[in-house]
Amino acid sequence: MSAADGPVVFDPADFGPIPRSAELRKWMRKVRRGKADRTFWQQFEDVYLVVFALAMVGATGGNVVRHLNENSASCTTTSCLLVLDYVPLILFPLLVAGMLRILLSVGPVSGSRATGFWLLATPLDRGAVLMPAYRLVIVVAAVIGALFAVVGFAVFGASLWFVIEATIVSTALLVCVACATVWAQQSPRATRWALRIADGLLVLAAIPAVALAVESRENAFSPEPEAVLIGRAYSIPGSSSGLPIHQQRALVIGTLGLAVAVAAVLMTARSLRRLPKPSVVAGGELLAGMAGAAITMDVSLLADVVAGRHWRTVGRLKSRRGRGERVQAIIHREFRRVLRWPRRLIVGAGLLVVPYAVAGTGYDVLVPLAAAFAGFVATRPLMDGLRSVCRSTGLVRALGMDLRDLRVAMAVVPGVFVLLWTTAAAPALGDAPTAFAVAAGILSGVVRQASARPPSYAGPLVASPMGAIPPGLFSQPIRGFDLLLLCLLPVLFDLGPLWRYAIPGAVLAIMFSVRPKTA
Amino acid sequence: MKKAAARLAVTGLRHLYADRPVIEDLTFSLAAGRAVALVGPNGAGKTTVLRCIVGAHEPAAGEILLDGVPIDERAETVRRDVAALLDDLDFFPDLTAAEHLDLLARAHGNPEPEDLVDTLLDDVGLLAAADQLPGSLSSGQRRRLALATTLVRPRKLLVLDEPEQRLDTAGVAWLAERLQEEKKAGTSVIFASHDPDLVEAVADDTVELTPLA
Repeated sequence: MSAADGPVVFDPADFGPIPRSAELRKWMRKVRRGKADRTFWQQFEDVYLVVFALAMVGATGGNVVRHLNENSASCTTTSCLLVLDYVPLILFPLLVAGMLRILLSVGPVSGSRATGFWLLATPLDRGAVLMPAYRLVIVVAAVIGALFAVVGFAVFGASLWFVIEATIVSTALLVCVACATVWAQQSPRATRWALRIADGLLVLAAIPAVALAVESRENAFSPEPEAVLIGRAYSIPGSSSGLPIHQQRALVIGTLGLAVAVAAVLMTARSLRRLPKPSVVAGGELLAGMAGAAITMDVSLLADVVAGRHWRTVGRLKSRRGRGERVQAIIHREFRRVLRWPRRLIVGAGLLVVPYAVAGTGYDVLVPLAAAFAGFVATRPLMDGLRSVCRSTGLVRALGMDLRDLRVAMAVVPGVFVLLWTTAAAPALGDAPTAFAVAAGILSGVVRQASARPPSYAGPLVASPMGAIPPGLFSQPIRGFDLLLLCLLPVLFDLGPLWRYAIPGAVLAIMFSVRPKTA
Repeated sequence: MKKAAARLAVTGLRHLYADRPVIEDLTFSLAAGRAVALVGPNGAGKTTVLRCIVGAHEPAAGEILLDGVPIDERAETVRRDVAALLDDLDFFPDLTAAEHLDLLARAHGNPEPEDLVDTLLDDVGLLAAADQLPGSLSSGQRRRLALATTLVRPRKLLVLDEPEQRLDTAGVAWLAERLQEEKKAGTSVIFASHDPDLVEAVADDTVELTPLA
């Protein structure tokens, strides 16, 4: 067109009707297929590998669960049976709270930045564009609900029909939770309320956990006959007509659960067009970041992505002046930083029920291990400061301190938290040397994981079926847990108190004396 | 200029990426209170020279002296005296702009940095954004905050990699003025830049780098 033709004038009448989302997707599929550079057989091989791997994992996992179920079902102690009573009261609130948080952190309906830019900004029916993502959310929630119930209840020795009922309830419940989060995604206010409900459910889950811990310790030495108590908990007498009553109950629960879930899914689908683009795209970006972290098997990066999103959402805070200078200033700032996100402290304190609950079940050998892992999960979020400096040479340079000294300074506040946490868990752990080993394991583990550098693709790479990978890639997920287990070795091998002080003490001393490398 | 008198002396610097040399036999010096600009097209090695000076890269050959002593980023004197702004600066996601400057000043031994922080925030135009977290700052504001991190702490040598990046016209003018003041205060400045006006206003000498074949 030449300049003489004048400016282009757009007349809506010149355009046809807005295409349906399905038509557009069909067109995009066609275009993509035209650019495909892999043959059918190559794709078939990939699918075969995935299906085969899933079948292997499923079969192995199923076998493990079946064995655990048989073992737990034959447990005759009062503590075991108490666990069966309390499991639903602990697991369901935890499940719902966890799903609320996870789903809301990614949207739950999310789309890539490209989807946001190219599709959501057009007059296309937004509900239809987002429908595939919505279906995925529902399917994922249903699968997680089913798996959680099957594993969660089976390993504690519940009967087949009870597991089936729990699975139906759990699946329907999580589908409804997913629908609720999609509703909540429509407005920040609703999202905040949903998060508050999640917090409330966490507290709710802690109550039976504490009760279980207390009651188990009281009854630890008074075993009751298995049949009587299992009968009380899960066996249901037969019905005089037709199906046994437990099957009738499962049928009713299944029908009701299905009806409620389907109704919720259909009703929520109609609200998709009201979802705001920023929340949809933000979730997509978070998922992309997490996928990147998962590909590099960098657990710390996963935590960074989530924390980064949280602080971007917060955006603005009242600045607090520091105190002191040099190391004292760093420690003070870390202290303020920890207080800045109190939910992490509450969750950390809530995790104290883990060692007590495990001690309550009578599996004493597992208590230090469970305590150490729970303590690790409780403490790791407090290491964000160390994570920031370890991934940025520029930040270390700006602070003007040696990274080794910075690491010690930034471990002081989490170290105090670990001390308090293990002191509170000490009655479940038994003796002081074991508590020391657990504390040293938690601290050395979290510090090592937080100090991890991301895998470098700049150096030599190793050939693998996944392509060229850096040599350190596969050690990323176990980084931190290696030191934790090393500190627990004298406890797990039942060595004397001297070893329980010496080995973890040496691990701590060596770890803090080594100068970490920055990214 | 005698080597002993130079704040920074670079002699015979050579650096390789894999087997490819990017810097070959580079020699220059910088006295106290003076500024040198590294100029040249993209890929000429300006950032590499700066990274060698701050110790982020290990040179293949050559010597870099700070006040007559080989530079070692692990040495406390180097961490104290060299303030650098390269592209590897990150922020704490949960500290506000003001808190970053407050922390840095204190980490460098200033127990009462409140006034300095407020003045600097005002200087770099971030007073209104003092309570904002880095994730909510624009890229230009983050750049200004990064610049402020080099000015909130004691320094003898300022190392800046394209400090004019993402600054508006007024920001570049402020930067030129500020670097002039730094020179008057005895600070040596070495910076890489693509802005001829900034180079003209600040640099006493220029080192022109060209991409090696």
